[in-house]
Amino acid sequence: MSGGSNGRSRAYDATLEWPDGRTRTLAVRDDETVLEAAERAGIALPYGCLTGACGTCTGRLLAADEGGTDGDEEPEALEVDDAFSYRRRPLALKDRHRADGYVLLCIASPRVDCRIAVGSSVQSELVENPWK
Amino acid sequence: MSDASTGGDVEPDHDHEHHHEGPGYATPQAAIEEGEREKLAYVMSLYVGTDVDAPDFVAVVDLDPDSDTYCEIVDRIEMPERGDELHHFGWNACSSSCHVEGLERRHLIVPGQRSSRLHVIDAKDRRNPELETVIEPEEVFEYDLSAPHTVHCIPDGEILISMLGDADGELPGGFLELNDDFEIEGRWEPPGEIEMNYDYWYQPRQNVMVSSEWAAPKTYYPGFDLDDVEAGNYGRKLHFWDWENGTVEQTIDLGEEGQIPLEVRFLHTPESTHGFVGTALSSNIFHFWRDDTGEYRAEKAIDFESRDHEDWDMPVPGLTTDILISMDDRYLFGSNWLHGEVWMYDVSDPSNPRRADSLSVGGTFGDVQEVQGRELNAGPQMIQLSLDGERLYWTTSLFSSWDEQFYPEEGERGSVMLKADVDPRNGTLELDEDFLVDWGECPEGPARAHEIRWPDGDCTSDVWQ
Repeated sequence: MSGGSNGRSRAYDATLEWPDGRTRTLAVRDDETVLEAAERAGIALPYGCLTGACGTCTGRLLAADEGGTDGDEEPEALEVDDAFSYRRRPLALKDRHRADGYVLLCIASPRVDCRIAVGSSVQSELVENPWK
Repeated sequence: MSDASTGGDVEPDHDHEHHHEGPGYATPQAAIEEGEREKLAYVMSLYVGTDVDAPDFVAVVDLDPDSDTYCEIVDRIEMPERGDELHHFGWNACSSSCHVEGLERRHLIVPGQRSSRLHVIDAKDRRNPELETVIEPEEVFEYDLSAPHTVHCIPDGEILISMLGDADGELPGGFLELNDDFEIEGRWEPPGEIEMNYDYWYQPRQNVMVSSEWAAPKTYYPGFDLDDVEAGNYGRKLHFWDWENGTVEQTIDLGEEGQIPLEVRFLHTPESTHGFVGTALSSNIFHFWRDDTGEYRAEKAIDFESRDHEDWDMPVPGLTTDILISMDDRYLFGSNWLHGEVWMYDVSDPSNPRRADSLSVGGTFGDVQEVQGRELNAGPQMIQLSLDGERLYWTTSLFSSWDEQFYPEEGERGSVMLKADVDPRNGTLELDEDFLVDWGECPEGPARAHEIRWPDGDCTSDVWQ
C-alpha cells in the first residue's frame, strides 16, 4: 500500500508488467481505475469503450497482496473479484475469464496491492481461433 | 465530377452539365459517366487494441497513377482520443439528395465503433480534410445507444447511424439520427423495433430499409467465441422497415445457413426491390426481393464451401465479410476473408448469380501470399469498386480483436490495400501487382486498415430517390 491516504482517499500499489519484462508501479487511488491512474502517470495502456463492454483494456491479475492485513493470505489465491472493485459490470468478461484472473482495467479499482499483466497481448488471450 | 472543391493536384478534369442542383449524380448510370477516376481514397486506419500510443486516423491515400506519391498515404487525420476503433463511415449527403439545392457532399461522419464517439470531418479540401466536430460518447449514451456502425445520409441533409448496442453494450441496438448541423436529433425509430443491429441500406422509392444483425457489442467486441454462436448470441435475421415510419414491417430469419448477416445492399437502380446480404459465419450469400404479394423473401443464392487445411482441426469457413454491387447492378463482388479470396458474380439475373471470376490472394489458402515482397498476413476484407466498375480495391483488417484471433501477424505488421483490374465486359479480375499501400510503414507504427471510400461517391455510399 502506498502511503495509505492523501487525506480523503486511500491508494494501492499496482505493479504493471509488460510481456517484454518492463514494469511500472503506480499508486492507484481507491476512487480511480487502474487505467485512469496509468493515464495520470503518462503510461499508455490499451483501451476502447471505457464502459466495460469491449475488453480492449483487459489485464490479468498475477498476484494480490493483502498488504494491510497480517500478510498471511495465500499469495497464489488470485481472487480477482476480491482484489478489485468494479465501477460498472465487467460485461466483456465471461465467468471463465474472471476465474482465470482477467480484469477490465478501465472500470476496475484495486482494493489490495497487486501485480497485473498488461499490454495488448492480454486481451488476445480471451478468445482463440475456434477452428484451429 | 466533384461535389466540393478539390485541393492540391486533384482537380476535376472535366465539367459535365448537371441536371440536378444538389450532391451526387442523377442516376447510377450518371455516376458511371460523370464520376472521375478515383484519385484519392479515404481509409479507416486504426491503432486501437495495440500497444502503439496513438489515436486512430483517417488515411488519405493517393490513387493517381500519374502522381509522384501514388500508393502512399499522403495525409492522416488523427482522431482526438485513442481507443475509437474507426470502422465504417459515410457522407453527410449523397445522390439521394441530388435534388436538394445547396447541399454538398462535404462532411464525413466517422464513428468510433468501440468508443461510441462520433467525428465529423470537413472534406471541402479533398486532399487535406480537417476534423470539425466531435460528439462525445456521453452524449450518445444519453439515448441509450452505443457502438455506431453504418452511416447513411437521409435525403434532405440528415444522417442516420446504425447503433449496435444500448448504453451498456447490451441489446437492444437502434438508430441514431443527426441533424444537418451534426447535432444529435434523437432516436430515429421507436425503441423496441429490433434487438440486434448491424448494417442497413434504404431504397426510398420503394419506401423500404433493410437492416442486418451482428450481435450485442459485449458479445462481438472481445472476439469471436463459438460458445456465443451456440447460445444464440449472434444474429441471423433481416429486418425490412417502413422507411417513412421507421418501423419494422417484416423480419426474415435466415436460419442456420444465414448466420451473422453483415453487409446488406439493395441494387442501385431505385426501381429495384432486389438485394443481397453476405452471411459471414455461414459464408453464404442470400438474395432478397419483394414478391408479387408485397412480402419480402430471401433465399440462399451462393454457397461458399468450407475447406480443409492440414493445420486446422476443423474445416475453414470462407467468412464472407464484405460484399458490394457494381454501379451498373451487373456484378456482385465480395471477399472471403479467411480463405483469402475476392470474387465477382454476374447478378444480371439476381435469383441466379453466376460465378464470373475470383482471385486467390492472402489469407489461409491464397495462391498469392506476398505482393512486391510484402507478406500479406491476412485475407481480403473491406472492398471498394471504382464507379466505372473497372478497379476493385481492398484492405485486410476485419476488426481488431477478431484479427488477433485469426491473423495475429496483422497487428504486428499492419494492413495492406491491394487492387485488381476488372474487365466488366468479359467478367474477369486481374491482380495489379504494381499496386500496394502498406500500413506497416506508418510513422507511429503498423496500423490496421478497414473501410474505403472515394471522395465523390462510391458503390457502397450512394442511394437514389
